[in-house]
Amino acid sequence: MAEVNGIRRRAWRRLSRQARFAAMAFALALIGTCNLSAQAPKITEYQVKAAYLANFGRFVEWPASVALAKSESFTICVLGQDPFGADLDAAVAGETIGGARLLAKRISRPQDAVDCRILFISSSEVSQWKEILAALRTLSVLTVSDMPQFTRRGGIIQFLLDGNRVRFDINLAATERVGLNLSSELLKLAVTVSRSP
Amino acid sequence: MLKFRDYSIKKKLTLMNMLVSGATLLLACTAFGAYELTTFRSTMVQNLSIQAQIVGANSASALLFNDAKSAVNTLSALKAAPTVLSGGIYTLAGEPFAVYRRDSGGRTSPLPPMPAGQTEEHWFADKELKLIRSIVFQGKLIGTVYIRSDLQEMNDRLVRYVGIVAAVLSVSLTTAFLLLMTFQRAATRPILQLAETARIVSREKKYSVRAPSTDNHDEVGLLIEAFNEMLVQIQARDAALQTSQEELEQRVTQRTAELDATNKELEAFTYSVAHDLRAPLRHIQGFSNLLMESFASQLEPEAKTFLQRIGEGTQQMGRLIDDLLSLARIGRQEPRLQATGLNSLVQEVLRDLKTETEGRDIHWQVGDLPFVDCDPGLMKQVFYNLLSNAAKYSRPRKPAVIDIGQMSVEGQLVNFVRDNGVGFNMKYADKLFGVFQRLHRKEDFEGTGVGLATVQRIIHKHGGRIWAEAEIDKGATFFFSLASQDDGRQTANAHEGGKNGDSKRT
Repeated sequence: MAEVNGIRRRAWRRLSRQARFAAMAFALALIGTCNLSAQAPKITEYQVKAAYLANFGRFVEWPASVALAKSESFTICVLGQDPFGADLDAAVAGETIGGARLLAKRISRPQDAVDCRILFISSSEVSQWKEILAALRTLSVLTVSDMPQFTRRGGIIQFLLDGNRVRFDINLAATERVGLNLSSELLKLAVTVSRSP
Repeated sequence: MLKFRDYSIKKKLTLMNMLVSGATLLLACTAFGAYELTTFRSTMVQNLSIQAQIVGANSASALLFNDAKSAVNTLSALKAAPTVLSGGIYTLAGEPFAVYRRDSGGRTSPLPPMPAGQTEEHWFADKELKLIRSIVFQGKLIGTVYIRSDLQEMNDRLVRYVGIVAAVLSVSLTTAFLLLMTFQRAATRPILQLAETARIVSREKKYSVRAPSTDNHDEVGLLIEAFNEMLVQIQARDAALQTSQEELEQRVTQRTAELDATNKELEAFTYSVAHDLRAPLRHIQGFSNLLMESFASQLEPEAKTFLQRIGEGTQQMGRLIDDLLSLARIGRQEPRLQATGLNSLVQEVLRDLKTETEGRDIHWQVGDLPFVDCDPGLMKQVFYNLLSNAAKYSRPRKPAVIDIGQMSVEGQLVNFVRDNGVGFNMKYADKLFGVFQRLHRKEDFEGTGVGLATVQRIIHKHGGRIWAEAEIDKGATFFFSLASQDDGRQTANAHEGGKNGDSKRT
């Protein structure tokens, strides 16, 4: 009797194990498909760009005077229409560079960029690029934008889209003009590094 | 195979030294090897760690800006390290970001699971060294480097090391062996020579040899010196012994000669006394006979008795003188040896004894006796004395049983005469063969006390031995052997006689 019971119990256990395994496999497959379909829209272009903005500062050296003056915080400014929304705030939350806390700030005039280390110029400002760049000429600010021809026009970093990937160009002459020093680590990642003024 | 303890000292020394040096070298080499191995392993880990850190540092920007191509580029620098099997950079989530593989085949190895809270780790497994280092950029953890390296270099090194150890060991042991051969000869040669000398001394009993001495003042030198000293002492003692032995022999010869001379003198004296006593005895005999014959009628019966007593006394004295003369004669003359059948001698004696034993109930049992080289006259005297003695002392027995035969005593053939007479006390056995020594009263058994002395003298003259065994009232047995009774002829004869003799005895 006991033996029969034992066999039954074991058989039931095996069955339940198989059932559990099947359920798990199904769940995994489900999650996998969900992941595949959800992955692309999950990380948006501007989320990536916000993360890049937060990281650029780690590969740039500002002149000593600027570094001292702006030491308490590291401000990333967005000029014009903000394409990031909450993504930028999320990207800078809790991050520090060289001991300085990262801050995100929206400004509407280029003159307000005095406190900024990095300035993202929104594509909405494409018509005023000349004025904006002229206004920033004397400021040691890392200018970033995704408007076309930005580096040609005197901007420092220009976002590009390479398929799904976000990449960037660098205008080295512009950095030298405002006294910024870009790390070779950053330069090696750039699609093109131009030296024309 | 010989056991170790049976090896010669030379072999022992060699073996011991070789074992000791071999073991020492091996231990040292093993220790160095172990040290080398651990050092090499830690160096390997260190190098790989440095490479991982460099790769990590150089791919930080690539990780941050999601540039896998750049990271692969950085990783491909690992090509310079031929032992690196694969290297990978993984995102914080643990997904592979960039991979380098030495062999283009194979798959991307997933990041092995790490213990919780552990970011830096290395371990040796599956003939590989695996190492994980976290990538930290400006104080921030941004990814992980995972490098696998094969142990080919270490194995090569190990093989090389084993080869070197083998070479060092063989060269060292060979050198040690050669050196040993040279030095050991100096150490063992004196011992071997000492052993050889001892062997000669014990085998050939030659005490004049000496172990070649060394000038070394070590234990072996002392041993050799002591051994030689011992030999000197033995030799001296031998010489002293030899001298004293020679001296002793000389003294014995001298004493024997002196004794012989004295003996001869005594015998001559006995002979002359006995001889000279005869003449007056004849006078006494003659005149007492004349007195008896011529004046018988005038004599009182008592006087006649006295005269009769005188006659008996003179007769007894005459016998005594005869016996003494014959004893003396035997001492002076050498026995004339000739092959003689003892059986016929015994028969002659039995005939002679017939009158003497008239009226007696005697069972004579004569076994087969051998032929021996002896003086027949003297040997007849021997049997006469022994047989008449046996008859005499068994007079109280009816019947008297007298055995004559030959038997083997302690491997030697001896003749015997056994009676069932009165016997004697063995306490006095040594007096039996002395002149004038008697164990019984003259009143019981007549005799001069010269007979057995004569018998002993004759047997001694024949190079033989005589002895007796007896018990009071249970008879006596006289045994005698002759020197000539040992050769083959007599033995064969004795065998023949033995058959008949045995039938009677047993």
